[in-house]
Amino acid sequence: MRSALLLGAAALGGCAWDGPMSTVRARSDFARDILYVYGIITWASVAIALVVFAALGVVLLRFREKPGAPLPAQTHGHTLLEIAWTVAPALVLLVIAIPTIQVIFRTQVAPAAQALDVTVRGRQWWWEFRYPSLGVVTANELHLPAGRPVALTLEGPDVIHSFWVPQLGGKRDVIPGRENRLTLVPDRPGEYWGQCAEFCGASHANMGLRVFVDTPEAFARWLAAQRATPAEPAGLAAEGKALYARSACVGCHTIRGVSAGVLGPDLTTFGSRTTLGAGLLPNTIENVTAWIHDPGAIKPGVKMPPLGLTEPQARAIATYLTGLR
Amino acid sequence: MGHAGGMRGHASAQSGDVGGMGGHLGAPHVGWRSWVTTVDHKRIGILYGVSAFVFLLVGGIEALLIRLQLAGPGQAVVSAQGFNALFTMHGTTMVFLAVMPANAAFFNYIVPLMIGARDVAFPRLNALSYWIFFFGALFLNASFLVGAPPDAGWFGYANLTSKQFSPGMNVDFWLLSLLVLGVSSMIAAVNFIVTILGMRAPGMTLMRMPVFVWMTLVVQFLIVLAFPPVTVGLIFLMFDRFFGTHFYDVAAGGDLHLWQHLFWIFGHPEVYILILPAFGIVSEVLPTFARKPLFGAPVVIYSGVLIGFFGFGVWSHHMFAAGMGPVADAAFSIATMLIAIPTGIKIFNWLATLWGGALRMTTAMHFAIGLVGLFTIGGLSGIMHASPPVDLQQTDTYFVVAHFHYVLIGGSLFGIFAGVYYWWPKMTGRFLDERLGKLGFWLLFVAFNAAFFPQHYLGAIGMPRRIYTYAAGTGWAFWNLVSTVGAFGIAVGVLVFAVNAWRSLRAGAPAPADPWDGRTLEWRTSSPPPVHDFDEIPAVSGRDTFWREKYGPRRGAPPAPAHDHVHLPAPSHWPVVIGLGIALLAVGALTHLAVVALGALVAVVGVFRFALEHHRTPAHAQQIGSLGVDHRKVAMWVFLGSECFLFGTLIATYLAYRGRSVVGPYPHEILNIPVTTLSTFDLLMSSLLMVLALAAVQRGDQRQARLWLFGTALFGLIFLGFQAFEFTTFVHEGLTLQQNLFGSTFFVLTGFHGGHVTVGVIWLLSLWVLALRGRLAPVDAIKVEVAGLYWHFVDVVWIAIFTLLYLIP
Repeated sequence: MRSALLLGAAALGGCAWDGPMSTVRARSDFARDILYVYGIITWASVAIALVVFAALGVVLLRFREKPGAPLPAQTHGHTLLEIAWTVAPALVLLVIAIPTIQVIFRTQVAPAAQALDVTVRGRQWWWEFRYPSLGVVTANELHLPAGRPVALTLEGPDVIHSFWVPQLGGKRDVIPGRENRLTLVPDRPGEYWGQCAEFCGASHANMGLRVFVDTPEAFARWLAAQRATPAEPAGLAAEGKALYARSACVGCHTIRGVSAGVLGPDLTTFGSRTTLGAGLLPNTIENVTAWIHDPGAIKPGVKMPPLGLTEPQARAIATYLTGLR
Repeated sequence: MGHAGGMRGHASAQSGDVGGMGGHLGAPHVGWRSWVTTVDHKRIGILYGVSAFVFLLVGGIEALLIRLQLAGPGQAVVSAQGFNALFTMHGTTMVFLAVMPANAAFFNYIVPLMIGARDVAFPRLNALSYWIFFFGALFLNASFLVGAPPDAGWFGYANLTSKQFSPGMNVDFWLLSLLVLGVSSMIAAVNFIVTILGMRAPGMTLMRMPVFVWMTLVVQFLIVLAFPPVTVGLIFLMFDRFFGTHFYDVAAGGDLHLWQHLFWIFGHPEVYILILPAFGIVSEVLPTFARKPLFGAPVVIYSGVLIGFFGFGVWSHHMFAAGMGPVADAAFSIATMLIAIPTGIKIFNWLATLWGGALRMTTAMHFAIGLVGLFTIGGLSGIMHASPPVDLQQTDTYFVVAHFHYVLIGGSLFGIFAGVYYWWPKMTGRFLDERLGKLGFWLLFVAFNAAFFPQHYLGAIGMPRRIYTYAAGTGWAFWNLVSTVGAFGIAVGVLVFAVNAWRSLRAGAPAPADPWDGRTLEWRTSSPPPVHDFDEIPAVSGRDTFWREKYGPRRGAPPAPAHDHVHLPAPSHWPVVIGLGIALLAVGALTHLAVVALGALVAVVGVFRFALEHHRTPAHAQQIGSLGVDHRKVAMWVFLGSECFLFGTLIATYLAYRGRSVVGPYPHEILNIPVTTLSTFDLLMSSLLMVLALAAVQRGDQRQARLWLFGTALFGLIFLGFQAFEFTTFVHEGLTLQQNLFGSTFFVLTGFHGGHVTVGVIWLLSLWVLALRGRLAPVDAIKVEVAGLYWHFVDVVWIAIFTLLYLIP
């Protein structure tokens, strides 16, 4: 216990609490509601633990066997005491239960009318985000305007996943055949990390996502870029586009005006994303080239097969794709 | 109640009357064959204990590989799939092959001694449980040899386990071995319920039973009632994977919450199956070494019972993130918090036991007090995720990993170690070294906290479970490294124990009968106990009866000790044969139908030889225990209780899936009520014939007994004929097992019932053959009565099925 307490103290004092996936840095109303209950329970638990450890400490210090001492008093019980320590935990639980119930219902209300609808589709092992009211489809990086309620509808076409962006709130499973929802109001612009939180097969660990909460102006700019028709590429990128259009890529990927595959992520504005492979790598030409060359080497189990392209061909396509902004 | 029936006719499958003490006691206890055929509860306990330790090492090695892979970001010690297999096998191994059998070791060795019995109620069934477990464990681990270890998590969430997403044999190994291990647990649980209820020494009323025996009893009830739902869930999975049904097929209308409910209705009681024995051990160790009685023992017992009871009402707290809606979230949250009350009571009562005591700080006491402290942490973190909003941030993160390791290592494993150090002298007749023991304790204690306390923090800063790799920018690296170092420290602590055990067995100090100044009956006999446990069955005058004998003023005259002959069960090799047959069935499922047939043959022959081995051994005829009821009857009632849950789950699934089929044919188009009414009537009438058969056997009317036994079986066969007709008609009309959800649920449910009828018919025909040979005298009526209980139950189930499936539109 002593070492546990010491470690605990070290953890509380010496650790950083604001990592990109921290559950204790709330950046939405949903996360803040949770943190409020979290705080109450944590401190109640710490208090109870201290009482128990204090009692244990006293016992260990005071009641050791002494040679020659008579048998200790053979107490069999004490009704009042036992009633007391039945009622006391019940009271503590009441303190925890009331805010818990309040927050359960408050965080599962129907979304507000002006909420931005986003359909989240969790797939092995990437995320698709559809904005039905805005006509935008993207993958792995979700943009949300700060201050506006958002209603996420979670759909799964393959196995169960769980959508989780800790700083924006708790996780919710993405279950094929069931429509789950999350509603929240992100309140501070920034980049937030998320990750699939339900084991979903080989590359469960590689199913990250990013949420960019933008100021309303920045969101409008991002939206306009998503809707714009990509400019016709030139040079190596043009070569890449031609290669893309006649290779197997088109069977799975959509690039508006070029291809209409649905098995893989929509690549129409691929270049505007910061990461590749669901939060796996920075989105650079080198990384994309390596990915196209042999995706399975980077992401175990990935559904995209190696396409048998040469390194220069892969680089041409990578140049084309990263240019799609 | 307790001692009303006395101990007349000692309840074992006896080899014969050895007539008093000190005579020839069964077969010689030497050589490996004596271990394979043993039916001695103490030897079976040792077999369980050794197996548990071996698998603790196996699961531990898997854990170390997991920790090596996570020691830093982007490690490549194992592949992604390898890692997934490791955590799946680590969890499955530790739960089913390490902690459960370690607990079973104590149930087997200690419980009969504690209640003053010479063995368990059914010694050969006890051996059967072990051998089924043994082969199931080997089968699960054989998956490594063929390169297909299970890799979908110990919780195997559908539909990741479906053929589509897990095409290999990995999941097959997992589901088949869990089914096999479930059979083993079920047999053992029935056995121990009958043993504890029916084989207590005179004067050992229920409330005088040691708390460890109580916790054992609660755990057996949990097993009997919690295993059927997951068994049904696994059978659905097996049918989906092998026969193309649609239980977990979303496209056909299946609901993925189904598996989660079935798994956690088992999974949460399973937590108490793992931890309550440790609570029982600690409740024995603390009083002994504090030299005070357990504070508020009745309350500790009632809390254990309450925990077991509530344990069935909280499963959905594992599903707060699954989207059940706010009402269900709130209800399961409150129910879960309620469990904290009896759990807290236990902690406080243990503290009060220590308070004012004269603590002897033995190694066993170290582990017991360690449990009180560490389980407090695990319990409190458990309350945190009883709150759904908080759980949404904690579930599937390392916070939960920390939580349940505090419960399962800090709780279960520390309790098991306390038990090992406490009872080792009793089991081996030698002491473990106390200095090495304390060194081992401190290593385990410090290393455990180093390994798992930081994981609370890792979870709080967002590290998900079951990830084989993580990025450097997450801030998770340092404490993962600490955790890995701690894990290796735990390994060293376990090795120190192994060294201690080895040295003790070779040259440990000899232990007297009562080395710790114990309080309960096991200390009243020699260390190790004689084959027959007690020369004379002790009389019990109260709780801590042995302590009272030594110190206490006795209130009133104790009941006279029971004078009985020492009957010892003869060794039997049929348990291992049946176990092998079941293993062959599992192997056959993955290889060839011929192996399945061979396995079935071996198992069926084994069961018949097992059943007839002691038929008409005179002492075997009567097995009246302290309940005043024959053990076999109690066993059948307990078994039927679990059958209720089995059929309840099947029927509930049918009802939950009603109307969800996406293609026809639908029930109203196909169910033939007039024909089924006839077959229902036929089955009901068979129950009447069963009553006549039993009455005839009881009054020794051989002719009528033969007639009515055959008649009952014939009516059963007619029912099966109706079912065969119905099934073929349905198939002709387009309803197959694979057609739609209706077909899947209908055929599996009614097919299961048909399977039960088939078993009943075979059972009745076997009794009929015995009757034909004139081997069914009135003294054997109990066998017919037990078969009758089963038969009536199967009929009643059919009435439920007929009403719910056919009559209610």
